[in-house]
Amino acid sequence: MNIDIDPYAVLGVHVDATSDEIKKAYRQAARRLHPDLNKHNPGAVAQFQDITVAYELLIDPAQRSQYDAKARLLYPEDRLVFMLRTIANKRTVALLDEPQIIFLLSEIIPDPRAEMQQNGDARLNLTLVLDCSKSMKDTRMDKVKIAAHQIIDQLKPGDILSVVSFNDTADVVIPATTMMTTDKASLKARISMIHPFGSTEIFQGLSAGIAQNRTFMAPRLVNHVILITDGRTYGDEQRCIELAREVGKEGITISAMGLGEDWNDQFLDNMTAITGGRTEYISSPGTVVRFLNEYVRNLSNVFAERLQLSVAPDPDIRLESAFKLAPSPQPLSIDGPTIPLGNLQGHRSVSVLLQLEIPAKLTLGFRSLARIVAVGDILANKNTKCMGLNDISFEVMDNPPMEETPPNILEALGKLSLYRLQERAQEALERGDIREATQRLEFLSTRLLELGEPELAQQARREAQRVAMTNQLSEKGRKDLKYQTRSLLLEASMETKS
Amino acid sequence: MKICPSCSHKNREGSLFCEECGQNLLSNINAAVKTKQIDLDSDAVSFSSWGSAKFDLDTVVVLHIRDSQEPLRISPNNRVILGRYDGGNAPKPDLDLTPHGALEKGVSRIHAAIYRTDDTLTLIDMGSSNGTLLNGHRLVRDQPRVLRDGDEIRLGKLVAHIYFKQNSDNP
Repeated sequence: MNIDIDPYAVLGVHVDATSDEIKKAYRQAARRLHPDLNKHNPGAVAQFQDITVAYELLIDPAQRSQYDAKARLLYPEDRLVFMLRTIANKRTVALLDEPQIIFLLSEIIPDPRAEMQQNGDARLNLTLVLDCSKSMKDTRMDKVKIAAHQIIDQLKPGDILSVVSFNDTADVVIPATTMMTTDKASLKARISMIHPFGSTEIFQGLSAGIAQNRTFMAPRLVNHVILITDGRTYGDEQRCIELAREVGKEGITISAMGLGEDWNDQFLDNMTAITGGRTEYISSPGTVVRFLNEYVRNLSNVFAERLQLSVAPDPDIRLESAFKLAPSPQPLSIDGPTIPLGNLQGHRSVSVLLQLEIPAKLTLGFRSLARIVAVGDILANKNTKCMGLNDISFEVMDNPPMEETPPNILEALGKLSLYRLQERAQEALERGDIREATQRLEFLSTRLLELGEPELAQQARREAQRVAMTNQLSEKGRKDLKYQTRSLLLEASMETKS
Repeated sequence: MKICPSCSHKNREGSLFCEECGQNLLSNINAAVKTKQIDLDSDAVSFSSWGSAKFDLDTVVVLHIRDSQEPLRISPNNRVILGRYDGGNAPKPDLDLTPHGALEKGVSRIHAAIYRTDDTLTLIDMGSSNGTLLNGHRLVRDQPRVLRDGDEIRLGKLVAHIYFKQNSDNP
């Protein structure tokens, strides 16, 4: 019996539902989610498996009563939960001969009790993977060491730490150890001994770090690997991605911090996103200390881990893109059956903006749009699994009334369009289309100026000039534009929150 | 279909921001562009130096090149390429600036072009080595800018002023 899912919630029926009601709910959902109709839609295929498991369980009276007895223990009344709430930018669409776009904003909201109960309570299984290649010499290495020292200071008894340094080989500086209050000085001393030389081979460090993390990995821990690097790795990127895919399934999150301008942001973005982690750009070594400290402090406020969103649009509707707005803005990959979202903190929601295409020539009336499911592990619960489900529908009308777009969706989309401009400028440049690249950067500059971001606008303009003269962006300018247009989205989500 | 008022890109229905240029498609473009109110008595009115951008059928361009005696007259048809001809394999530009010291002043063989569209003229940098400036602003390669009567253009170190003259003015 699969106890990972709540069969009543999956089918959207009450615990007292009759078997006729269960049959009806299953048939309705299966019609929409059937794999034959959803070859392009991995989210639906995954959800179809879930409803089938749930149906087979509930339709058999013996299995159902066995489950009900168990469920009282599995899901006590006072267990903590998270909520999933999805709103669309409109409830009605016009009947048209052309395809249209609709936006959904899904928010995963922590239990309001979590904030009081949890104050840095989550137990960490933390691994630091530190680049100690020659380029890290002096300031960068020193700052990273200071940051690591401060992390050791803030870890609680019971947290688990391991530290790996790497260049072209990996070296386990601190094997995975449970923290005690007494031995912190000797751990710090070991970090101080790290000496930078050699080149950067990320796979070496990453696989050694993951091996350390795995020794203590557990569902009720925050299993997190932080990679800090300042360079490009050559030839082993694919292996890193495969490794990330593997550990993402196991429940380890990888985050990365890139120092300076020379690291490969696309690679690190991809690799961390697979595991639900994120990549940060740290332009000056001075900020790494504060940044890492804050990052680790946030980890200990984690309320739920391994959050996943599964989006199953109706067979004729297509999911076009997904973007995480908060707490850390980043593009999400929609190729897999579920979208990894990382962790949920006790005091901040996770929100995701989805863009869907509705086909031309609909029929009038109400209809369903998509089914969205969020699952995750709530660390404080005995049975950690928690799930939220939203069924979204809309109405097709001849003359739909004017609807006000929800301001948070509008604001997020406005800022997302800036990020997309930057992205498309970059794509044009990769194709060698200088004209399009400069044009996009100029548009970006104009919009940034309108938005009251004169400095970033200037930078976009300078990069447009640079592209025109030299056919390429500066590494710094490219990263600044990418990560700063991203952080504009963060401001957007903060504003709507307050 | 939603046509962007800023760049006329065709966006799908339901789009809220232009996919091409990021323009907010909900806002009225005319409302978004704020007209600056200027006091009629202030100096700002008489101080305006930029001339008309209107360039109709009877208009010709007079190009005054600094340190050159004779102004050049051009009646742009579709496109006039400004550059320097050195007798090599490169194609001859429509307006060869060699007699005006183009080589010493760093004008490229194919430096810039003046395009005529309806009733305006635009200047475009064709990927010159030393760049094209319009009223002191460097042009981004391949991005057209509207030319006005009285503009100063700079090709490398070669400075020229553009004037619009009616064909009938000076037969």
